[in-house]
Amino acid sequence: MVKPTKRALSFASIAALGVLAACGTSSTTTSSSAGATGIAGCKGTITVATDLPLTGGDVTDGPYVQMAAELAVTQAQQAKLLGGCTLKYISKNDSTVLANGHSPAQGAANITALASDATVMGVVGPFNSSVALAEIPVASMDHLALISPSNTNPCLTVVVAVCSDPSIKIDTASLYPGPHTYFRVIASDVQQGEIDAYVVSSVLNAKTVYVIDDQQAYGRGLALLFTKYYTADGGKVVGDASLPSTTTTYTTQISLAQTEGAKAIFFGGTSGDGCGLVRRDMGAGGLNIPIMGGDGCQDTKFISDANSGAVKNEAEGSYATSAPDVTKLSSSATFYSDYAAAYSSVAAPYNNATNEPYTPYGYDAMNILLQAIHSVLVSNGGQPPSSSMTFRDDVVAALHTTNYSGATGQQSFDANGDTTNTGFTLYKVESGAWVGINTYAVDTSGNVSVKTS
Amino acid sequence: MTIQSGTPEAPLAPLGDTSSGVGSPMLVDQRSLAPRRDQSNELVRSVGPVVRVAYGWISKHFAAVLLGMILVAIIATFKQGGLDLMGQQLRNALVLGAIYALVAIGYTMVYGIIELINFAHGDVFAAAGFYAVFIASTFHLDSLATGSFGGLILALIIVFPLSMLGAGITGVVIEFVAYRRLRDSPRLAPLITAIGVSFLIEGIMLVIEGPDNVATNQADWITGTAFTIGGVSVAWTDIFVVGMALFLMFALGEFVRRTRLGKAMRSTAQDRTAALLCGININRTISATFFIGSALAAAAAVIYSINYGDLKWNLGFHLGIIAFTAAVLGGIGNIVGAGVGGFIIGLIYVFGGSIFGGEWSESLIFAVLVLILTFRPVGLFGVEVTTRA
Repeated sequence: MVKPTKRALSFASIAALGVLAACGTSSTTTSSSAGATGIAGCKGTITVATDLPLTGGDVTDGPYVQMAAELAVTQAQQAKLLGGCTLKYISKNDSTVLANGHSPAQGAANITALASDATVMGVVGPFNSSVALAEIPVASMDHLALISPSNTNPCLTVVVAVCSDPSIKIDTASLYPGPHTYFRVIASDVQQGEIDAYVVSSVLNAKTVYVIDDQQAYGRGLALLFTKYYTADGGKVVGDASLPSTTTTYTTQISLAQTEGAKAIFFGGTSGDGCGLVRRDMGAGGLNIPIMGGDGCQDTKFISDANSGAVKNEAEGSYATSAPDVTKLSSSATFYSDYAAAYSSVAAPYNNATNEPYTPYGYDAMNILLQAIHSVLVSNGGQPPSSSMTFRDDVVAALHTTNYSGATGQQSFDANGDTTNTGFTLYKVESGAWVGINTYAVDTSGNVSVKTS
Repeated sequence: MTIQSGTPEAPLAPLGDTSSGVGSPMLVDQRSLAPRRDQSNELVRSVGPVVRVAYGWISKHFAAVLLGMILVAIIATFKQGGLDLMGQQLRNALVLGAIYALVAIGYTMVYGIIELINFAHGDVFAAAGFYAVFIASTFHLDSLATGSFGGLILALIIVFPLSMLGAGITGVVIEFVAYRRLRDSPRLAPLITAIGVSFLIEGIMLVIEGPDNVATNQADWITGTAFTIGGVSVAWTDIFVVGMALFLMFALGEFVRRTRLGKAMRSTAQDRTAALLCGININRTISATFFIGSALAAAAAVIYSINYGDLKWNLGFHLGIIAFTAAVLGGIGNIVGAGVGGFIIGLIYVFGGSIFGGEWSESLIFAVLVLILTFRPVGLFGVEVTTRA
């Protein structure tokens, strides 16, 4: 029903974006074209923010994404993307000491604080799906745009079968008491589960698998989706176990997998919840079959945990899918060199954006937000709309029409705010590090294939 | 005297005992029961005795019932995956049980002597693991242990006593600072300080060691397969874990049975005041108990580290609670009971998980805890003592 109005609005923004999109990630040329549209006379302050986990257990992920998003803001400030208006940036941390990492309560408090600031027009974040569950309703109530660089839980945007599983229980509709203001630039676990199933059955050629998950919303959901697609692909799950993160040994499950004749083990969960320890116990039990995991397993924690057991190089040959490896894409080259130049004085490892696959997604998410704000200014005669609520609604409407060519490829959103830039990269541990092998994508009819560009 | 008979201090006379004569506690009890019987209906009246008999029978034969259930689980595993799976799971259960048993002994010793559930014990276990890592890196034991068999023996001879000494001192300090002054306070006070000490130790480990698993580099000290029967291969580490645990438990048993200090510990556990009157230094005996209990936890931690190869700051809390269940199962205060209880918990954890799925392992352990406390609160090896937890 809203389609006609949306389309009318989108003409202006697409026209504006079309010019910008051609510029890709180099925003220096953006200013000249933007300046010509008359926003040089823009008056006022416009604020963008990030809400990411920066300390505690998330210190190996969050800071990269925050720095990448800040880089996008700095570049926009230098290029005067918002013309005469002042562009302000706020960084919020959703990690707490008590939670020793990301905390949904802290995330919701951050969004509440940002939403009460009338100049805030959008937030890049959160990083974790559990935090998103707490933040989405707050952002929706306050009409504030939220763009996540990394949330993969499908239930945040659409209702799929796993959402009603007793161990997950997410009521998607209740997440949006107001308008749908949530977007993400990464595909959901529906695609990840499908790609993981494809990889195990067709690439690793394992027709029997033992599934373990960590009882968390992300891990359990991914395991269920994997199981669904894997059995549809003709594979057989010979056994499964759902174990808490406090589990210290998986020998019982390894013995079961061994006697049931599993040709691979799939782990749905994070390396903090035992992904690496499963691999460690496989080494001790002499079970020489591949292990496959999702993006929760693809980190250095997995490698150190897997190698801590009797077999010192046990992690070798482990597989996991994660955010598409864009380091080889030509579109990302400018981003990586800009990041390296901007943060050359920052201590390692944060001076190298390639250490975290989600880094360019933070950069693109912020750029998409800035472009949406820019297009609203342009279509409003170079001035911010009089009411901040109207401004926020316009930004959300502009985000729905996004067609942005960024470091991570072509980004646009469907009606649910999910990116159309789908795909996950298969990584393998080689010589003690994760190496990207192939990027897979799912087409509309559910076929998985290697993505070439 | 008659009026006081219902209080917990004086046990009730058995219901069938009529020899006490007129004015005995039994008569008072029967009179108070009478109105309730009138209100009950036919069904309850007929079911009641059956339930009571069944309850009594299970209480009396609890050990047989429990072992029978475990035997059924083992046979079910055999049906499920043949001899190979049964053998592998038996091996897994014994390795896990050995570690629970050593930790459980620390709980049971402390409870036996001062009737305190030392919640910090599990965290002493985890801390001792980190001591062992520190000792190993200080003396460069990793290269020594992996170099030759003699080097391994030497490394073990260095790492075991030193980490046991460190943990022992930690235990003594905890007792001195947090429990000694509260020894005659109400039960709740030392229990709360115990939980406080537990959180304090965890916090310190979190700050020093970080939130993630810490690789100890000790998992390659002992490698290789000792022997293979059918599809079951037993590694040297498995033999080391179980053998070392049995040896330590035997040594402790002999120590408590034969030495002067052991005798002092037993008498202090029986009656502190009487022991004091006999000239036993109570403070020193209690300190020694904490030292030995913590040292055994340290031995368990070294064994854990060599078997699994990593430690985590909050490892002790969870493992401690399961080991505590083992202590209650065996009969808290009973050292042999704690040892056997540890192995039984290992069997329940592994075979329960193997049959019903890993998510049920822990639920089964705590279900067993509920059953013990309901049917046989004194535990499998428990003997009548004045008060119980």
